Amino acid sequence: MMNWIRKLGANSLGQVEEIGEVVRFGGRILLATTRPPFRWRSFMAAVFDSGVLSVALICASGLTVGFVLGLQLYNTLARFGAEDSLGTAVGLSLIRELGPVLTGLLVTGRAGSAITAEIGAMRISQQLDGLRMMAIDPIHFIVMPRATALAFVMPLLSAIFVALGISGAYLIGVELLGLDGGSYLAGLESAVEFRADVLQSLVKSLIFGLLLGLIATWRGYSCEPHSAGVSRATTSTVVTASICILLADYLLTALWSI
Amino acid sequence: MTEAEAEFGHVEVRGVALAFGHRRVFDGLDCDFARGRISVLMGGSGTGKSTLLRMIGGLQKPDAGSVRVAGDVIETLDEAGLAKVRNRLGMLFQNGALLDSMSVFDNVALPLREHTDQAESEIADRVHDRLAAVGLLDVDDLLPGELSGGMLRRAALARAIVTEPEILLCDEPFSGLDPPNVSRIEALLTHLNRDRGLTLIVTSHHMATSLRMAHRILLLRNGGCVEGSPAELASSRDSAIREFLGKDGAEHLSRLGREAQGAKG
Amino acid sequence: MQSTSNRDLGVGLFVLLGLAVIAYLSLQVGGLSLRDSGGLVLYATFDDIGGLSPRSSVRIGGVRVGRVESIDLDEDLRARVELNLMQDLELPVDSAAAIRTSGLLGDQFVALEPGAEDDLLVSGEDFSFTESAMNLDKLIGTVVHGDGLGGGD
Repeated sequence: MMNWIRKLGANSLGQVEEIGEVVRFGGRILLATTRPPFRWRSFMAAVFDSGVLSVALICASGLTVGFVLGLQLYNTLARFGAEDSLGTAVGLSLIRELGPVLTGLLVTGRAGSAITAEIGAMRISQQLDGLRMMAIDPIHFIVMPRATALAFVMPLLSAIFVALGISGAYLIGVELLGLDGGSYLAGLESAVEFRADVLQSLVKSLIFGLLLGLIATWRGYSCEPHSAGVSRATTSTVVTASICILLADYLLTALWSI
Repeated sequence: MTEAEAEFGHVEVRGVALAFGHRRVFDGLDCDFARGRISVLMGGSGTGKSTLLRMIGGLQKPDAGSVRVAGDVIETLDEAGLAKVRNRLGMLFQNGALLDSMSVFDNVALPLREHTDQAESEIADRVHDRLAAVGLLDVDDLLPGELSGGMLRRAALARAIVTEPEILLCDEPFSGLDPPNVSRIEALLTHLNRDRGLTLIVTSHHMATSLRMAHRILLLRNGGCVEGSPAELASSRDSAIREFLGKDGAEHLSRLGREAQGAKG
Repeated sequence: MQSTSNRDLGVGLFVLLGLAVIAYLSLQVGGLSLRDSGGLVLYATFDDIGGLSPRSSVRIGGVRVGRVESIDLDEDLRARVELNLMQDLELPVDSAAAIRTSGLLGDQFVALEPGAEDDLLVSGEDFSFTESAMNLDKLIGTVVHGDGLGGGD
């Protein structure tokens, strides 16, 4: 019994210690952004890998989520005779919640895990040590461009997701179910407000991007220096980042309504 | 010689202790690496050769004791402080540790682009000069993954010396190479030492090559080390040492003897 | 370095696309206006504001002309609503403000009915005529009891 409690204590302390290390790591990344040079080449390459290469996935997902949302919300609204409010319902759910969160989860799986694997591989092949021995800070050279790229692409991808979702639901509602296109768009435009909704969406996706950037690079940077370690770190990125995104979503939603 | 000159290219390890978990690697380790000399670290697996090299490079901190590199005590330095020391060091890693997403040219040019204000044309000249010095031509646009083992190691060597360091650390530079490449690397390292006065600290299993090129051999065992010239160690009274050097040790001695005879005669 | 310039093109297009979509969502859908279109501040006092809340819209003939800035209680414990309207709006001093519902179950908004006088309302003034929100309970109560509003028994 005592052993179990001892283990629990040790585990909890370990967790707190790790959170401390992650925060310190994040601080070093932040400092690195203030020191020149900015490393545009690396940043652009990372934006391409995390952003441009994710567009297809985001478009496909956004469109299909739009279809499903269109169908499901239509069914529910029809019960109250409020089908014409489909535009409102779709717009608000996508912009406030589904856009940022689903984009966050998708990008975590696609780009987050890739970055963890890349940095982890560099660690085990001593490329990071090689940089240190050349008096080049690996956090400045490798980590910073990738973390900032993830934060940068998230809001852009989220917006694309939302746009496709709105279009998908429009196709279902207007083309398939016979709603009036004008009411759909009017409902959408009148219900959605910049400060309450669109801004919330952008801020959320930016914060999710920052979280993912921190977690994905941290896991790669601190993984155990062998192949099993890299693979463990990669799955861990997906799990940790997904949970953090969902928690952050709750916190941000609550804070925004104040 | 002034104190600064004396410290130049000199590494001193005093009273170093290090343990990984329950495994004690070093205990009261004392050794010196003289400037301008080739020192070879030898010892069985797990005796800590690579670890000692990493400690000199600041990649590993000892639990106790001190490490002085070119006059600077390094175990208390943070990354920023270490950066200053590392500007005078070069390190050749066992698998090259070149950045695999960049071309060979960009890899070798990297330290120059980061730390100097030289124009691209000057940098290109320096890079090509070093690559030629290690016998690599027309490899500029290749990626590290496209190089053979020997070429990769030589490209990494070019990168390590492109900033003209005082001290070159080499981790198992001969391992995994075929005999022609081993000879090539040995010739390059010896040349760097003779011509540029570079202090070399090398870890190796390669008995014959190490005995041939070393000025001093440091044999790591029991948490400490035994130092001596190759001849001294080969003719040592300690049976363990003689056993470790094996037939290569005996051959080395007889070769030295023949050379001495040749000089006399 | 052909692949690099292709890559840069890809990045550029991606960023442009993303920014364009964000601009559309913010300006067209979200109604963000880049010019400060407020400025005319007027007050209206009601007995019952119903479901009206800050940022509810203010309309004339259904067209949005401003929004509710804040809602407070005055000394008589009636609801005083601050309206932020378009700078160049011309409303006669006998204009009225009423709280209406959009559709049957929709949001509440403030409907303005322009009056007939020549003098115009100036920033900081109050509406003289206001109409509170229709309260569904009270309405049902009057129908059930068969009396006028403010019913007795």
